[in-house]
Amino acid sequence: MKALGRWLTEHGTTVGSPIALLLSWEWASATGLLRAVFFPRPSTILAHLRDLALDGTLWGHTAPTLARIGWSFSLAAVLGVAIGLAMGLWRRLREGLDPVFAVIYPIPSVLFLPLASFMVPAGEVALVVTSAVTSFFLIAFTTTHGVRQIDRLVVEAAVHYGARGWRLFATVLLPGALPFIFTGLRLGLGFSLIVVVAVEIVSASRGLGALLWLSWQILKVEDMYATFFVIALLGALLSYGLAALRARLLPWVPDVGDPR
Amino acid sequence: MPPRDPKVLVSEVSVTFESHGRSVVALDRISLQAQAGEFLCIVGPSGSGKSTLLRVLAGLVRQSAGEVRIQADHPGTPLTAMVFQEHALLPWRTVRDNVTFGLENRGIGRAEQETRAREMLAMVGLARFARHYPHQLSGGMKQRVGIARALANDPEVLLMDEPLAALDAQTRTIMQEELLRIWATLGKTVVYVTHSLEEALLLGDRVVLLTARPGRVSEVYPVDLGRPRGLEVRASPAYGALLEKIWSRLREEVVRAIADDRGSEEIGA
Amino acid sequence: MSAVVPAAVLVLWELCSRLAIVSPRYFPAPTTVGGVLTDRVAAGDLGAALLVTLTRLAFAFALAAVPAVPLGLLMGIARPVRHVVEPYLAFIFPVPKITLLPFLLIILGVGEPAFVLTGASSAFFQIVISTLAGVQTMDPRLLDVGRNYGAHGLRLFRKVILPAALPAIFTGLRLGLGLALVTLVAVEFIAAKSGLGHLVYRHWQMLSTPEMYAAFALVGALGLVLTRGLHALQARVLTWQEDLGG
Repeated sequence: MKALGRWLTEHGTTVGSPIALLLSWEWASATGLLRAVFFPRPSTILAHLRDLALDGTLWGHTAPTLARIGWSFSLAAVLGVAIGLAMGLWRRLREGLDPVFAVIYPIPSVLFLPLASFMVPAGEVALVVTSAVTSFFLIAFTTTHGVRQIDRLVVEAAVHYGARGWRLFATVLLPGALPFIFTGLRLGLGFSLIVVVAVEIVSASRGLGALLWLSWQILKVEDMYATFFVIALLGALLSYGLAALRARLLPWVPDVGDPR
Repeated sequence: MPPRDPKVLVSEVSVTFESHGRSVVALDRISLQAQAGEFLCIVGPSGSGKSTLLRVLAGLVRQSAGEVRIQADHPGTPLTAMVFQEHALLPWRTVRDNVTFGLENRGIGRAEQETRAREMLAMVGLARFARHYPHQLSGGMKQRVGIARALANDPEVLLMDEPLAALDAQTRTIMQEELLRIWATLGKTVVYVTHSLEEALLLGDRVVLLTARPGRVSEVYPVDLGRPRGLEVRASPAYGALLEKIWSRLREEVVRAIADDRGSEEIGA
Repeated sequence: MSAVVPAAVLVLWELCSRLAIVSPRYFPAPTTVGGVLTDRVAAGDLGAALLVTLTRLAFAFALAAVPAVPLGLLMGIARPVRHVVEPYLAFIFPVPKITLLPFLLIILGVGEPAFVLTGASSAFFQIVISTLAGVQTMDPRLLDVGRNYGAHGLRLFRKVILPAALPAIFTGLRLGLGLALVTLVAVEFIAAKSGLGHLVYRHWQMLSTPEMYAAFALVGALGLVLTRGLHALQARVLTWQEDLGG
């Protein structure tokens, strides 16, 4: 209890400021200072959110989004780490693939939707593949960086003490790259969410992005805000949840920043 | 010798830090003084608060109790200028601009800045590198720029925080010679913190020994090894005897400091 | 940067397309695309679309960078400001900025302001965060140096804090520009009637694939030029920074 009290005093403004904002928004919207058609009252939004949750619509749209994130992230992660490691270890491969990556990485993922729909069966598979693209490049890039930033002296010492081939990889290179691999995975997961939502806006009938766009088209503003809130919540969970998870499960892995 | 007001007077200075809701006493009622033109060395184990003491003198840390007085004989010049461990040069400025940094801030004119910079760089032997950037210099050279920067400001007291600690042994020896030469030329009052007892005896007129945390003054030793002094003094018997005498005391403190660390490990602090 | 692998890929693609190993409808040969590219550029419409996208990008970037850098700096040096702003940053940062588009479309109507602001929002948060990090991770001893050598308050900020944070600010601007472009093109794809992103969408819907790939290639080229260009600029301006990784 005392710990909570102490935390609150330290973070008073951090917690208080958004609460104050919500309260003033509620008041401004109710009194007409803010046009309710643009900025409906938070209480109304909450009510709509509850309704959506209760009648199953919310879950009906959240589930497909979660599934797509899960699939695309897994695809991106497995391929990204594998190829990232390979590129980190073999200079030829890296030099060969670097230009390809450099050209493809800055392209917005949604643009790959047409390509994906040509190459794989249209529908879910195309959506998942498209959503995996940018995450894949991000994860591969950070993984490669993770391998390359390992102190040469450490590797030399390990080799000197008899670690070769597979053993060197498993006991020195992989652990050494792990912090960066994790950062890449965390960023990649965030990107998966972003692209899945964007792709759903373009071409899906179910999913949080689709729900958002649909609500916009029929001008149900409260539903728009409610959906936005759910997406934000999901984003926060994925971003910060993974970071917290890392701290809990793998405390020896330090948190490193984005090497871009 | 007629008694004079000390150039630097530290009187019952204590420094306490708050960290994670706990108080740590870094310095406990430190009293010491330095005469004008004296080279005072401060040694002690890790955690004895040596650097903290220096930062109090520099005005970067406010003491929790006690008084610090530095005699200002030349109005218009800063009280202190510090030479930091690992140079701490501003990486985006050239060598010359690093040296003039303090002068700029005090509003000294461009012409005067230029003269002083040139003089100081010549004194530390880096005249040719005025336009270089720090990342283009070696460790020893960067430290020399740090010294030039401090000297350019013509401070009342020169503070040096383990300036040679980050250098390799050979460069360090060369730099020690340099310091002796520069100090003999300029005659500044210097307060010099170091880990190395050998270095303290080589450079100093007196050595102040601090205890392990909380840092107190254990003992003050005069160093009667003559002036001007050169590296050859290290071979003299007087030097050896002094080294042994002080080291036995210092060793006790170092052992205590290590034991303290171990103790706090067990408590899980 | 070696062009061997991309060249090999293009050659392979050309062969597969010509020999109908893959459907030339969906994967027109690079030479065909190249031909269409030059035609369309000559005819002016690709160039016009490029110009539209670039203009939006310029506005979006300016709208983001101008408030973001000062805000990041302020947050770095004034703790109360950081405590007030942080919750909003933390909340919005993981949100896909494309989701802001429908809201802006309602408030500002369907048009340039909504498109540009959505793009700006991606860059804004990145720049604030990078700038803040620049201030927070600077070598703290440089602050000691500043204060010991007579620099306080505004002078300390101007002569020590700002230059020390500059590399991180630059990186933030570079990343922000890239993000703004990505978001803008996505917005064009989804909701605009002009610009490179829209072209890709339109030609996709009409299945005029060579034109689609031509627009696509232009987007890629634009992204590449901008990122490389800014990286080079950063190396030029910040000559005193020895390692730029990348």
